[in-house]
Amino acid sequence: MTSTYASIILLFPLFSAAAILLGLKKKANISALVATGSALLTLVLSVLVLNAKEWSSVTLLQWSKVGGLELGIDLKIDQLSSGMMLVVTGVGALVHLFSLIYMKKDAGKARFFAGLSLFMFSMTGIVYSANLAMMFIFWELVGVSSYILIGHWFEKNSAADAAKKAFLTNRIGDFGFMIGILLLWAATREISFDGLSNAVAAGNMAPGLLAAATLCIFCGTVGKSAQFPLHVWLPDAMEGPTPVSALIHAATMVAAGVYMLVRVSFLIEASGWAADVIAWIGGISALLAALMATQQNDIKRVLAYSTLSQLGYMVMACGLLASEAGMFHLFTHAWFKAGLFLGSGAIIYACHHEQDIWKMGGLKDKMPVTFATFGLCTAALIAVPFTSGWWSKEAILEAAYKNDGLLFPIAAGTALLTAFYMTRLFVVVFFGKGRDSHVAGHAHEVPMLMRAPLIILAVLAVLAGFALIAGPVLGDEYAKYSQFHFSVPAIVSILTLALGVGLGLKLYAGRDREPVNIKLFANKFYFDELYAKIVKLCQDSVAAVARVLDGLLIDGVGVGGTRGFANMTGNALRRIQSGNLQGYACLFGAGVLVIVLLALL
Amino acid sequence: MTTLNDYLIASGLLFSIGLFGVMFRRNIIVIFMCLEMMLNAANLSLVAFSRFNTSAGLPDYNGQMLVFFIITVAAAEVAVGLAIIIAMFRSRRTVDVDEISSMKG
Amino acid sequence: MPAYYLEIAVVVLGLVLLLVEAFTPPQHKRRIGWAALAGIAATFLLLLTVKSHCGCDSPMWQFYDDSSLSLFFKGLALLCTAFVLMLGLEYLPVLEKYSARAGGGPATGEFFALPVLICAGLMWMASAIDITTIFLSLELTTIGFYIMVAYMRRNVGSLEAGVKYLILGALSTGILVYGLSWLFGATGQTGLDAIRTALPSAARGPALFAFALILIALCFKIAAVPFHFWVPDVYQGAPTPVTAFLSVGSKAAGFLVAIRLMEPFLAVESLRTTCIAILVAVACATLILGNLAAIPQGNFKRLLAYSSISHAGFLLLALASDRHTGELTSTRIIAFYLSAYLCMTLLAFAVLIIINKSTGSDELKAFDGLHRRNPFLGFATLIAAASLAGVPLTAGFLGKFFVFIAAAGAQQWLAIGIAVAGAAAGFYYYFKVIRHVYWNTAPEGAAAIPVSPVAKSLLIILIAATLVLGVYPQLILGLL
Repeated sequence: MTSTYASIILLFPLFSAAAILLGLKKKANISALVATGSALLTLVLSVLVLNAKEWSSVTLLQWSKVGGLELGIDLKIDQLSSGMMLVVTGVGALVHLFSLIYMKKDAGKARFFAGLSLFMFSMTGIVYSANLAMMFIFWELVGVSSYILIGHWFEKNSAADAAKKAFLTNRIGDFGFMIGILLLWAATREISFDGLSNAVAAGNMAPGLLAAATLCIFCGTVGKSAQFPLHVWLPDAMEGPTPVSALIHAATMVAAGVYMLVRVSFLIEASGWAADVIAWIGGISALLAALMATQQNDIKRVLAYSTLSQLGYMVMACGLLASEAGMFHLFTHAWFKAGLFLGSGAIIYACHHEQDIWKMGGLKDKMPVTFATFGLCTAALIAVPFTSGWWSKEAILEAAYKNDGLLFPIAAGTALLTAFYMTRLFVVVFFGKGRDSHVAGHAHEVPMLMRAPLIILAVLAVLAGFALIAGPVLGDEYAKYSQFHFSVPAIVSILTLALGVGLGLKLYAGRDREPVNIKLFANKFYFDELYAKIVKLCQDSVAAVARVLDGLLIDGVGVGGTRGFANMTGNALRRIQSGNLQGYACLFGAGVLVIVLLALL
Repeated sequence: MTTLNDYLIASGLLFSIGLFGVMFRRNIIVIFMCLEMMLNAANLSLVAFSRFNTSAGLPDYNGQMLVFFIITVAAAEVAVGLAIIIAMFRSRRTVDVDEISSMKG
Repeated sequence: MPAYYLEIAVVVLGLVLLLVEAFTPPQHKRRIGWAALAGIAATFLLLLTVKSHCGCDSPMWQFYDDSSLSLFFKGLALLCTAFVLMLGLEYLPVLEKYSARAGGGPATGEFFALPVLICAGLMWMASAIDITTIFLSLELTTIGFYIMVAYMRRNVGSLEAGVKYLILGALSTGILVYGLSWLFGATGQTGLDAIRTALPSAARGPALFAFALILIALCFKIAAVPFHFWVPDVYQGAPTPVTAFLSVGSKAAGFLVAIRLMEPFLAVESLRTTCIAILVAVACATLILGNLAAIPQGNFKRLLAYSSISHAGFLLLALASDRHTGELTSTRIIAFYLSAYLCMTLLAFAVLIIINKSTGSDELKAFDGLHRRNPFLGFATLIAAASLAGVPLTAGFLGKFFVFIAAAGAQQWLAIGIAVAGAAAGFYYYFKVIRHVYWNTAPEGAAAIPVSPVAKSLLIILIAATLVLGVYPQLILGLL
């Protein structure tokens, strides 16, 4: 029965997307309802799957079975995928509801909902993948749907550029991922998770190769979960509509990288030093992103950097061989971060699409429900004791503490910074007086259909960490994380929380302008500029090499007096394609000589 | 007595002359003649191989059969090739390959 | 029915068409095209009834092969010809403009008869297992292509392309026959079966010399570096249906011949290392150059030319990675890749012909705002570009994926690295096309682009095939 449900969960959003794109494009309202209906249905079904607890694997479609390579759409239904699926469909359904109002007057409404459905389909595919090839394919598909949704307002240049940047940055990671899959296939002749797990357990792989393959696979995570050094795309991706940011760039797609790490945790455990690399990349990402978040003025960008930082936490947990803790944080983070993003969406909606926090202010009285829900989600994010974020962050700090290296101070520092910048955001947006009468003056509470998701998410932000909820969703072994006991990490975490909030209040309460000004953080450590420079440097050096080679060709062969070679001046490749038949014949002849010599020597 | 090597050296020279002619001559008719020379180099080596590869005192006729096909094909190639070159000459009034370079990049 | 009846049928069809063409009035030349299409379609149906021969040891089977591989490539040739004929019907207005007789109307009839004769050559190539038949069938197609490329005799570009293809093609022919003569000299045999038996005892030098020369000639046919120079210019200048035919039909047949001729060399352990090294080197050079040179292109036909070069690189990599793939042999991978390549490349050329008919331009700029001017055409471009780039769930992705699998099995890590980088570059330049279609705005006053029913059905077939092969490769792999 569960396998049937799972198949429906996978296919229904696809049908919805196809129906909208093929037939309903002109009827925007019906499209929106179809997509929302499919999201709600999948939510109900994923609850049923979780409830039934019948774990199985099912082959939906066998593509090819040749030479031991079995490619297919195989669904792996276990506790992990079912729990993840609840997060995806839960946040997904709420975001669909929220979007009904948020995108009400948008000209591309049907396209937007088709994009959401396509995304739900691809994300479901990742979650249920039983083998790496299928995961890779859906991995690419979420990339495509993310591209479509970030570039939803493609008339805006910044949106089109952001979409492109996200896509291209992700490709870099994906190629690593692909090479990782090939390495694993070459070494073990397996691409299914079960098969790989057995092969690794049997010790079939050389340690060096295993570490290399793990790191290559991890490249996929670095791209998709926006870890350092490929983190640059996520803040720009905020150009997409805010519900998309909540669903894709906070709760689900970016978490797919972490989910994948949890799936292949058997590889990380066996990979030795590669695990340390993963933990460090996660730690560095968490700290850098938190530093950058302290100086951002766009409400969504603050949340974006916060997402980066929290994803860094999860990756670090996976690298510290505590993938359960990472998964737990993924689970709680999904709710409160989606709540924060939808809350910011409500604020932006109320403030006539203004996103600068220094133009807001005093929204506490005008939007009480948003204020309350945003406050609860913030509390979870900065790990106020007994909220969901507290339990999961504890688990990660615990893991870092046990590792007794430099990572624990990094994690604790990040926690401090998190408390600081979220206090800043909260105080500046909701307290004080309205700084810009046009923006904050006319703000009013959002409609019911937008409030309902906020309330649900806020409740979950507080409660999701308790064993009562986390247990059935993630598995009974997660119950141990929500039992309080005194330890060094617990004390450190309460201290950092108090320090961060205090600092934030001291600096920002009652301010109308930014009191601190750290250019390095505000400019995101100049990563974008650095990458632009590197790209330019590469191009310049290739051009220089080409020029030198050209000089050699002309000077070396041109002396021979043939016009064919003499004509080849200027930059390399296009000049070789000179259009001159004589030149082609000469190069052909040269090629003949080279290959014959290669063969005979 | 001429040996197989003598024939092969002659055919190799013929082939090289043809190849270098194609590479460095500018008159398209001459280039075309050089191409025919390369085919004939192949013919010469085929005949030589077939003559020196005797079974029961008879040469291996498979190679010689291929020679006849090559001669036939070469004739067809010349017919088509010259037609194209003449059409080209009519529109451009030149047989210099250097002037046939409007498409590049 | 024995397989060789098919070639006889196609040759007779071509000759009859030529004869009838002479008596058809100029305004009815289109009918020749339809007749050719019907004939090719009928032959394709006949192909389905062909059975492999049963143990009768007539000398025929020493130079003519009718295994499932041969039949598969015959089918590919017939399908490709049929699609090209459809493209030709679509291209007729442009053709009429540039093929006027000195004093009379346009001469377009032969344009439909010649592809049929070339098709006979391609089909025969698929069955050729003797160096004599390989040479003859190769020349039959090549000489046919000389005429087709230069067909638009009132168009300077077409003539220039014709001359370039003629000279370089003849050069490669010269090198091929010289290589074949040395292969004959080294083994004393002309049949490939006999050569396979004789090659291990042949002298190393002459065998490798023959290998190098034959490889060079085949590299010319399949557009591999450094023998690719004709490709961009000829693709740009030739009539677009001929370009499509060259890029798909000629390459497919070239690869089958390459598989057949390389196989005996790769089977000899002492020659194998050298041969593989050369193949991999050529594949890498092809991947690097094809992808890098494609990036700055602004002309869609030239872009497809470099794309064709880079795909040749992937195919060569598969060829160099035999033996390591279990049942997923490099022959099967190449067959699948070529089928995928046929669908997506013909799709791209079909879109180009339709746009060229309306706008008179092959430049990427002509694609601006296509999404609004004709959404279906825009979608077709999207699928073609996505598949050429290798986006998952398209045929192009699985093709590349199989090649990577094979190369990983052969542990060609350097080549895989280059191929991966090449595929990444591919994403960049294929998505440039998509950007023109969906992001750029159409120029002022640009009219909607009409699509004829013939073209529309062709597009639908090719789109469907691209997507179906992308999710169900077994369709092709099961045939072999």
